[in-house]
Amino acid sequence: MKNIIRIERAIMNITQAELAALIGVSRQTINTIESNKYVPSTILALKIGRVFNKSIEKIFILEEND
Amino acid sequence: MKAIYLFPHQSRIIGYVCILSYVPVMVLKKILHNGYNNQDPVSKLADAAGLLNSEHIFTAIATILIITGLLFIAFSKEKIEDEQILKLRLDSLQWAIYLNYFILIITVAFVSNNLLRDVIVLNIWTPLVFFIIRFRWMIFKLNKSLKEDLA
Repeated sequence: MKNIIRIERAIMNITQAELAALIGVSRQTINTIESNKYVPSTILALKIGRVFNKSIEKIFILEEND
Repeated sequence: MKAIYLFPHQSRIIGYVCILSYVPVMVLKKILHNGYNNQDPVSKLADAAGLLNSEHIFTAIATILIITGLLFIAFSKEKIEDEQILKLRLDSLQWAIYLNYFILIITVAFVSNNLLRDVIVLNIWTPLVFFIIRFRWMIFKLNKSLKEDLA
């Protein structure tokens, strides 16, 4: 699974730390999600979607091998 | 995600205090008993004739101090306890249990009585120690990767 959080963040012009504060996780978690090292729970994915005002399918994209 | 029960962040300090106070307790014991008894804690607990004599009280206090100290250090919340930390916590716990029993199996298979006894006594706290080391190491790696990414 890949995601476009980094791009969405750039569009909204917020840092990893600011996004982390908005959804109540650590900066490290946002960082590992962006670099595809950690797969967030559904709840966290929905919270991220709410910040960017997009459905989660638009932010998280399944890949062939998933 | 509802986390398993964890102690508040500051209770880690209580943990360190418990572990550090092990030394004064043992020193006090030596002063009072004036003699070095090289038995391991479990035999001491078992051999102590009856409960609540001085030997039993000191051994019990020392063992309880170490165990509660390690429990507080291992299971106090991080500053931001999020789902990734919870995952690392559970991974590390499983890893620690595997390592602990792997060492125990090797020891039981290849080691003679006296050392085996020592290892089994150490097993009172090794799962917690392995857990703490592995968990701290994972958090250290996490912070390091964050710094590298920001650099």
